[in-house]
Order: sequence, then structure tokens, then C-alpha cells
Amino acid sequence: MIKVKNLTFSYGKDKQALHGLDFTVEDGEIFGFLGPNGSGKSTTQKILTGILKGHGGKVSLFGQDISAVHGQKFFQKIGVLFEFPYLYANLSAVDNLNYFASFYPREQRRDVEELLDALEFKPDFLKKPVSSYSKGMRQRVSMARALVSNPRLLFLDEPTSGLDPSGAVLFRKIIEQERKKGTTVFVTTHNMVDADLLCDRVAFISNGNIAALDTPKNLKEKNSSHRVVMDYLYQGQRETKTIETPELEEGIPFAHDEIISIHSQEPTLEDMFIQYTGRGLS
Amino acid sequence: MRKDFCALFKKDCRMLSSGKFFLMAAAFLALYTAYVNFGYIRFMRMEPYNVYLYDPAGTQTGKSPLVQTVSSMEDMNAVLLSDANGVGLDASAGEVQAVLYKGAKHVDRHRADYALSLLRPSVSPAPEILGTNTPEQKVRKEITCELLFFELAAVGFLGIAAILFREKGMGVIRVHAILPVQKDLFLLSKLAVFLLSDLAFAVLLTLLNTGLTDGAAVLPAVLLQTAILSLMMALVGLLCALLLKDFRQFTLAYLVIAIFAATPVFLSANTSVKLAWIGYHPFYHIYMGLKNAYFGTNISPGYYVGAVSVIVLLFLAVRLAFHREIGKEG
Repeated sequence: MIKVKNLTFSYGKDKQALHGLDFTVEDGEIFGFLGPNGSGKSTTQKILTGILKGHGGKVSLFGQDISAVHGQKFFQKIGVLFEFPYLYANLSAVDNLNYFASFYPREQRRDVEELLDALEFKPDFLKKPVSSYSKGMRQRVSMARALVSNPRLLFLDEPTSGLDPSGAVLFRKIIEQERKKGTTVFVTTHNMVDADLLCDRVAFISNGNIAALDTPKNLKEKNSSHRVVMDYLYQGQRETKTIETPELEEGIPFAHDEIISIHSQEPTLEDMFIQYTGRGLS
Repeated sequence: MRKDFCALFKKDCRMLSSGKFFLMAAAFLALYTAYVNFGYIRFMRMEPYNVYLYDPAGTQTGKSPLVQTVSSMEDMNAVLLSDANGVGLDASAGEVQAVLYKGAKHVDRHRADYALSLLRPSVSPAPEILGTNTPEQKVRKEITCELLFFELAAVGFLGIAAILFREKGMGVIRVHAILPVQKDLFLLSKLAVFLLSDLAFAVLLTLLNTGLTDGAAVLPAVLLQTAILSLMMALVGLLCALLLKDFRQFTLAYLVIAIFAATPVFLSANTSVKLAWIGYHPFYHIYMGLKNAYFGTNISPGYYVGAVSVIVLLFLAVRLAFHREIGKEG
């Protein structure tokens, strides 16, 4: 779906933002692009969505070089959720969506009210102006805008930003449903929970370079210490022991009355990010 | 493409409507019309200077009926005291002397000449009358032209910038970057909304203030000039809104542009202030184009070439600024 080879971009003579990125995103894959602010995430997304021009290297989407595909057909196939909910504040959710949907072929459009219902949008607010909505409601309308055209390729920039935990869970469910339909999803985020739970593969980007690219599971396992920490009770005393996982193959290697908890010492995605890039995600 | 343009056009109309732009335009139209019909025209229908003659020997036999006779110089002084614009003529000493309260030098001269001409109306040469406008028609056309110029140069320009600043503030311009729509349509729909609104305003203002028959006769030429000025000001408004950070910065630029566009033109065209450099002021030519349209005077083709070139250049600059804006960071 997306093929990027030696992608470079510079905002000026001394402001090189991307230093030769290489990655591919397969059809139907959820691909995460993780990096802190200023790392080159948004620049990459803007090049992929055709907003920024003048890049170096080769970028192809839908099997065509991006420089050649920037017609209306290209934009009909993509959906973009921006980091901020960009909507007409004086129009209602329905009017906003009908307006944005009107640029796509009729047979491609989804039903606006059904879509908002799937995103658990409060029905009382359907006809009220966006200016009266909470941040979470605006984010829902923005997500509906990105999905209203049934895109084959979906770009999501910080999709769960501004949502409460249940909203974040719902969005992840919606993204999963999109993937099941065959939509390819390119997620740009610095939210490691989203990346860990959603993405088939993630790329760590820092200072315009990809520092690592693999599945979240592999990234964590490769760097796992293969230890577990066990809390247990023995003769009325609470104790803690750290043991190597191979030792567990023959049972628990110490005397105990009751096991209280077992914690694997697998690193988080953020730990991995710091390890690969030498800096945090936020 | 037509469907996309219609969607953008409808949305821009809703933006203007929710921003009370049409209401404001209607209010300005009512205000201007009331000012012209109930204020300006009445004021300009001023009676000619009263002329008072003291002629004890009855030497002025061929005088006009407009001349009023007084019986003494005391009466003359008393009547001029109550009518300071009036002109007295003293014919008691043979040669007629004009007596008046001092005003501006050239106006005093004009008043005296007028008063003396009334003594021999039959020998005063009849001037050749140019044009077919009555004094009231002329005044109506002049003031309508000025108000239309002011509306287009100052008020409409503010409206288009306000709508774009709102869209910029809401971030929706960036959404249009990823929509399957020709990006230029975003600008063209705005220009079309403002152009149509300005043309409608020009039609109503002209018909309401210069009369149906006179107004309809000059309307095609007036609409052409309105379109030129409307497009130019709308493009300047768009450019300012795209280049400047916020509406506060814009209000300062607005003052500078409105003063630059309007003040010297009004000063030079409507007062006795002489500005030698006014020929180099671009808006002077636009203003004169509009005035010539109201008075049916021919306009040189060079003016149209210049106007179209300016519109094309401004559009290209706006396009560049727009493409820069949609690629900006959130």
C-alpha cells in the first residue's frame, strides 16, 4: 500500500526534517509511527497525504509514485484524521459531515447519522453547532469525517487525543473494524498504549530517522530480561522474589504458601523507544 | 467540478450569513439610501444666493426678477446681517458695487459675478450645457458613486477577511488540502460569493438612489466597474487574511489599506485639495472608472488591461499564500 525509500525532506537550507526513511506498509495493516514532537512524524504524514511537496527519495501509494497520483482520485481513496478537530464551528455535526462528504462520489459515502451513532455521538447534539461540543465530541465528529468516504487508506494523527478512557477504547474498536474491512491504517502517535494495542508494526522515529521497525511484541521481546517478579506468602510473611523465566519450567523453585502476584519484567514500548532513540516520547 | 463549486459556494454563503454579513450589507444599503434621499439631496438643493439691490435712481431697468430691491443702505445692511450668504448691490453712486460678508476668496468672487450677472440677464452669454444630467441627477450619481466605492473598498474587504480568518482559526482550510476538490475552487467560491453580493449591492444602491430609469441606463457600466473593484478588494482581503496571524494584526492593516485606498481619492475628487501625484495612485483610476461609468464617459482600454493584470497578479499571490497555509503545522 505504502512504499517509502530513502525519503528526505528539508524545510530550508539548514532545516532537514527527514534523513532518508525506508519503510513499507502492507494492505490491511495498522502501521504505527511513533515519535516525540518535532521528530518528523507529521512531515512524513503530510508527504504521504500529498500536502507537502518537494521531497527526496521515492514514495509510492496504491502502487503509484506519489508525485504522479495527486489528482482527485487519490484524495478519494484516503481519509485523514488530524491531530486537532478541524470543523466548522457554526455548523452542526451533520452539516459538517454532509458538507465534507459532498466532495466524494455518492456511492462511496457512508450514512452520516449511522456513522455518528457508531461513534456514540450524543443524538441531542446532532443539529447543534460544533461550537457547543466538548473536545471528545469534536474528536468523534472528526473521526466520522475521516471515515465518511470509506477510505482505503486511513491516516490517523493522535486518534485518541482528547478522549476519555471509554472513548479511547471505542476509537480503538472502530479502527480495528476498519482494518477488518481491509482498510490500511497509518497511525501517527506518541501514545504508546494506542500503538501497543492497535498496531501490527511500529516504527520509532527520532530526529528524522527510523531507529527501529518491528511488531510491538518483537520489539519488547527482543529486549526482555526474561524475568518475573513474584509476590507470595510463606509462614505468614509476605515476600518478593525475582526469578529467571526458564527456572519456572519445572515449577515454582521456592517454598511458599500462597502466590499473590506474578509480574513479567517485559519492557514497555516506551522503554524500547528510549532504548533505541535515547529520548522519551513526550 | 460544478458540484464541488456549489458545495463550497453554499458553505461560504452560510458562513457569511452566520457572520451577519448580509444583514450588515442590508443595513448599510438602508443607511446610505436614507442619507442620500433624506439628507444629502435636500442639503444640495440649496437656494441660489439672494441678491439685494439699492438703486435709489432706478438705473437698473433690465434686472432679473430674482433681484430684490431695498429702500436704503441701512435696510441693505440689516438684510445682509440676517442672510450672510446674500449679496448686496449698491447702485447709488453710478457704478454698481457688490457688498457682501467675507468668505472664501474664490467663492466671494463667484457670488459677486453671479449677482452682477442678474442685473443684465439678457446680455449674459448662455453657456454651452454639457451632458444631459439635471443638477439633482448629477448630485445623486456623484454621491452614489462615492458610497459604492467606499462600500466596496472598505466594508466588503473587511467581510471577506473576516470569513477567512474564521476558517483559519477553525483550521478547516487544512482539511480542504486532503479533500478531492480542486484547491483553487476554495478561493474562487469565496470570490464568487463576494462578487455576487457586491453586484447585488451595486444594483440596489444605484436604482434606489439614482432612480430606475437613470440607474438602469448606467447599470451595465457600473456593474463592470463594481466587478473590477470588488475582485481587487476581495483578493487583497484574502491575501491579508492568509498572510497575517490574527484579526488584531489585520485591523491595523485594514486601517492602512482603507485609508490608502479611499482618502486621497475622496480628497482629490470631491474637495478643492489638489494632489499633484494623484495620477500615480492606483485607486484614483479605479474611482474615476466608477465615476465615468455613472456619467457615461468612455474609459480607455489601457485601464482595463491594467485592471485585469492586477487581478491576475493578486490571484496568483493569493494562490501561493493559500497553498502555503494548507501545508502549515497544526
